[in-house]
Parts: sequence; structure tokens; C-alpha cells
Amino acid sequence: MWQQVEQSLHLSMGRVMNQIATLLPGILAFIVAFLFFLLVGWLLSLLVTRILSALRFDERMGRGAHAMAEWSPRATPSLLVGRIVFWCFVIAGVVVGGSALGTSEHIVSGWMLGYVPRVVGAAILLLAGNVLARFVSRSVLITGVNLNLSYARLLSMGVRWMILVLTGAMVLDHLALGGAIVELGFGILFGGIVFALSLAVGLGSRDLVSRSLEREAARPVEVAQPEKIHHF
Amino acid sequence: MAAVEITEETKQQVERIGSADVVVGIAGTVSPEELRARAGHIMQELGSGVSSLRFVFAWPAPEPAAEAAPAAEDSTFAMLPFSPPALSAAEFWAGVSANQRAVLNLAASLNARVCIVLGPDLAALDAHSIQLFAYAILERQCGLAIPVYPVAKYDGLINSGILSPLSRALYGRRVRNPLAFDFAASGALCAPLARVSPSAETAGNALLWPVTIAATQFPQVPVGQVHIGVQHKVATEGLELSAVLGQLTGSIFQEMDACASHWQRIRGSQATPTWGNGSENQPDGQAIDAQPLLDSFLLGSKSLDEVWRLLLPPNTLLELKRLTRATPDQFRIPDDVWASIVYDFALAYRLRTISRVHLLGALTPLYLGWVASWVREVSNLNSAAAEQRFEQFARAWEEKKPYLLSRWRWPDRFNP
Repeated sequence: MWQQVEQSLHLSMGRVMNQIATLLPGILAFIVAFLFFLLVGWLLSLLVTRILSALRFDERMGRGAHAMAEWSPRATPSLLVGRIVFWCFVIAGVVVGGSALGTSEHIVSGWMLGYVPRVVGAAILLLAGNVLARFVSRSVLITGVNLNLSYARLLSMGVRWMILVLTGAMVLDHLALGGAIVELGFGILFGGIVFALSLAVGLGSRDLVSRSLEREAARPVEVAQPEKIHHF
Repeated sequence: MAAVEITEETKQQVERIGSADVVVGIAGTVSPEELRARAGHIMQELGSGVSSLRFVFAWPAPEPAAEAAPAAEDSTFAMLPFSPPALSAAEFWAGVSANQRAVLNLAASLNARVCIVLGPDLAALDAHSIQLFAYAILERQCGLAIPVYPVAKYDGLINSGILSPLSRALYGRRVRNPLAFDFAASGALCAPLARVSPSAETAGNALLWPVTIAATQFPQVPVGQVHIGVQHKVATEGLELSAVLGQLTGSIFQEMDACASHWQRIRGSQATPTWGNGSENQPDGQAIDAQPLLDSFLLGSKSLDEVWRLLLPPNTLLELKRLTRATPDQFRIPDDVWASIVYDFALAYRLRTISRVHLLGALTPLYLGWVASWVREVSNLNSAAAEQRFEQFARAWEEKKPYLLSRWRWPDRFNP
């Protein structure tokens, strides 16, 4: 009895050791591949940044109101491109290293590897959505304030959340999570907002709108007063 | 540095004329008939005093072939139409500057001794103004002559509130209108003024700041001012305050960034010799209701708090907070606080702390707050006293310049 237990323990131990022995070169290969890509990525990003600086990429990108520089306020555009190159190589290192483990069927399944591009795409979408939401909401806020709209802040917040919700729906759709529920939920949410606004204006504010129109119609034509202050 | 290009047709006209002593150029489209008539009238008025000088009147004609008027009217003056630079109609000041550069370029091609650039409304096209400009350049050996307009105390507030004191504090020249419709330059300065600096070109914001160029590239060249009794009518319809403010301040911040090595060495300011008689009897103007301006400032301080926090130091924010609680009668932005606000915005523009479009947009409510404070303060003063008050205001900017220098050189240093 004891011999049988000992034998089966030996066999189990042998299998574990065998697994570890099989895995170790893979892990080593993963680390080597990852470090290699990290180094290449760092060197290439440095090279790209230098080349772009030499080509006055920042100055060229700085031209116009919708320049790339406007989207990366703290970093220069060339630095931004350099960082994108670096992180692309880091991700490539993880993917190549993962496949180099040689046991992708067991540890990093084919599904997970196939899913990586989706995750990368979703991360880019999320980042772009966040940047866009911040930029557009700030634009709306400043324009609203300069137009003397007392509800500029509310408007800006609404625009921000609209873009964030849209981004969230796109990210979930890109990750293939939730399936039709996301599309349906988003459709209902957006449709609901528009419907609620229509009802609010059409029913709730009917009297207000009619009174406002009557007041406008009854108002005598104002003669434009000459401006007393001249800014330029 | 890129110069404004001269088209083949214009080159042929220039070759036909040969050379000139005085080039009078108009920085905008005008009626050729009116210009010709007024040029003839001016030459008659100037009379024998300038008979030895050859004048050329240049103006941008959209279709030079059609406008190919006789190049030479008589022996003393000639008419020279030129092709205007391609411009976006939305950017009014950029258009004026591009035409000014084109005129200066023509003057350089004609080896002119003096180039007088005038605004497109032809308000300054009279014998007196031309005589004064020519006097400053030819007789008093100035490199640049800038006009002093008889502005009322509520006029040209962007200039009084930002452009003029900032230009004076940075470049050390006490010039009242650094971005003028009209000015005159000596022949030696025509070509440098006609060039667009690479920084301004890449920023797409190439306004012409003649005083900046003279002060940074030709510090030994004297700059003078002439009192000309004209008032320009700027068509404000369709122009939005925040857009114009953004364009003008964006351009001066751009120049500031490009010329940082020059203005950091300049301390104080030097008086500018001025000729001509200033108009003494300016209307004092009625009292202004500053409440709408104040409301815009209060709305800005309530809504743009998060943006201002990124640009201004805590001390200034505290001061702004105090101002929001002040009663309308007590509302007054101290000169040094306003100067430091503009300096901080200039620094944030350089560092790209936030998008430059947002940064310039966020300045508008603050500017309106300053206007409210200023018009309240000068409402009881006559024009002469208001001008003295402006002098005091501009000195405060100079006294605050060490703060700008410190922030510019060490932006990350703790700043309470």
C-alpha cells in the first residue's frame, strides 16, 4: 500500500518536474524576446524622436488650429510618436514572447492571443475617446462662456458624458462583450435622451415657447445703439 | 525667413518705374480712381517742398491686368498696383499684415528711401500725415515711425490693456501702437520688415510687429512716433471679440517666444521721440455701464475655474476669487495683478500647458474683467488724465517684468 502511494507520488512529482522543465526554456525565451523588443523599441523610439526633431516635425505639426500638438499639450508631437513606437514594440514583445513559450495551447491560449489585437484596439479607442471628450468639452465650455451662456458648464458636461458613453459602447462592441445588449442598450439610452428632450420641449415647455414667441412678435424694433467701447 | 513673393506682372511694373524715393503703400483693397485722385491732390498740397522726391503710390489690386492703370502720371509720382497675397478673409489682421509686407517688399525692390504704409480705409492718406512720416525718417533719421492716434479713453482697449504695455515692457520702447495700421520705415528696414519669421509662419499667425523687429534686430536704429490726427474705422461686424483677442495675443505671445533671448536682456524702457501735435480736445466720453462686462467676468470665474487653475498661480487665483466677491463699486483689478495674469498666460502659451486655442479663449473673460475695472477707473478722468493713468499702468508692467523673467527661466520652480 505504502509502496503504491510512494510510486504514485513519484510519478506525480516526475510529471510536475517534467512540466517545469518544459516550461523553463519557454519562460526564458519569453524574457529574452520581451527584453529584446523592449531594447529595440527604446532605441527605435529614440531614433524616431531624433529624426522627427531634426525634420522640425513639432513646428510643422504646430501649424493651424487643429494641429496634432493641440492634442498632446504636455508632450511634443515627436515625443508622442516616439512613445507610440515604443509601446507598439512592448506589445509586440509580449505577443512574440507569449508565442515563444511554446505551450500556447495550455497557458496562453490561441483565443487569448487572438484577443490581444482587440484589446489593443479597445485601449486605443478608450484613449482617443477620453482625449476627444476632454478637448471637445473644454472647447464647448470656453466657447459657451465667451458667448455668455450661463449654462455653459452644464452643456460642456453633457457633451463630455455623451462622448464618454459613446466611447464606452464602442469599446465594449470592439471587445465583443455584451453582444447585442450593448447596441440595444446604447440605442435605448440615446433614443431615450432625444425622446425626453423632445417631450420636454414639445409638451412641458409648450407654454413657455409660445409666450416667448408672442413676446418676440410684440417687441418693438430696436434701433442698434452705437458701441461706446471699442476693443480694437 | 520667407519674403512675400512679387508676381511677374508686378515685377514688370517695378522695372518700368525703376526707383523711387518715397513709396506710399495701401495695406488693403481700395478704389484705384479714388486713390489716384487723392494722390494727385496730396502731391499738389506737398508742392515744391518735395519736388526733388519721386513718389510711388502702391495698392493691392485683385486683378492687376484690369487695373493696369498708367504707371506714371507725371514726373513726380507714379501709380503701382500689385497682386495681393492670398489670404483667408476671416483673419482680418493677418490680411492687413500680409499687405503691409507686400508694400515693404515693393519698396525694397524700388530702393526707396522711405516706405509709408497706410491702412486700407485711407484715413491717413493726407499730406500732413505723409509729411510727418517722411520728416521722421528723412530729417530725423528714424528707422521706424509709428503713429500716435487721438484715441478716446474707451477706444483700442486690446492695445491699451495688453499689446502696448506688453510690447513696452518686453522690448523697452515706449510705443503707443505697436500693431498700427499705418507706419513708416526707412529703406534699410524695408526688406527685414517684409520677411516673415519662421516661427510666425509655422504658427500660421504671421502678424507684422515692426517695433519688435526693430528692437530685436536693429537695436541701434531709432524709433520715433508721430501724432497723426486720424481715427481708423475698423469694421467690427462679423468679428468676434474672443477670436480677435486670440489672434492678436496669440501672435504677440508667439513673437515673445521667438525673441525670448532678446527681451530677457532688456530692462526698463526708453522714451520715444514724438513729433506733431496731439489732439488736445478729445471727447471725454460718457460714463459706461460696466455691468455686462462684469457679468462676463463673473460667469468666467464661475465656469472656467478648472482651466484658470492650470494656468495661474494660487496667489492670482486667490486675488480673482476676492474680486468675484467684491461689490461692483469696489471691483478693481490691480495693475500688477493684470500684468502677472498676462505674463502667466504667455508662459502657458510657450509651455503648451493646455491647448493654445483653449488658452487664448480662456483669456477673454479675464480681459473683460480688466475692461470693466479700467472703464470704471477712467470714466471720471479727461483724456489727458487717462493717458497719464495709462503711463502709470504701463510702468507697472515694467516693474512686474522680473516676475516674468523668473517664471520664464524656471517655470517649474514653486510659485505661490
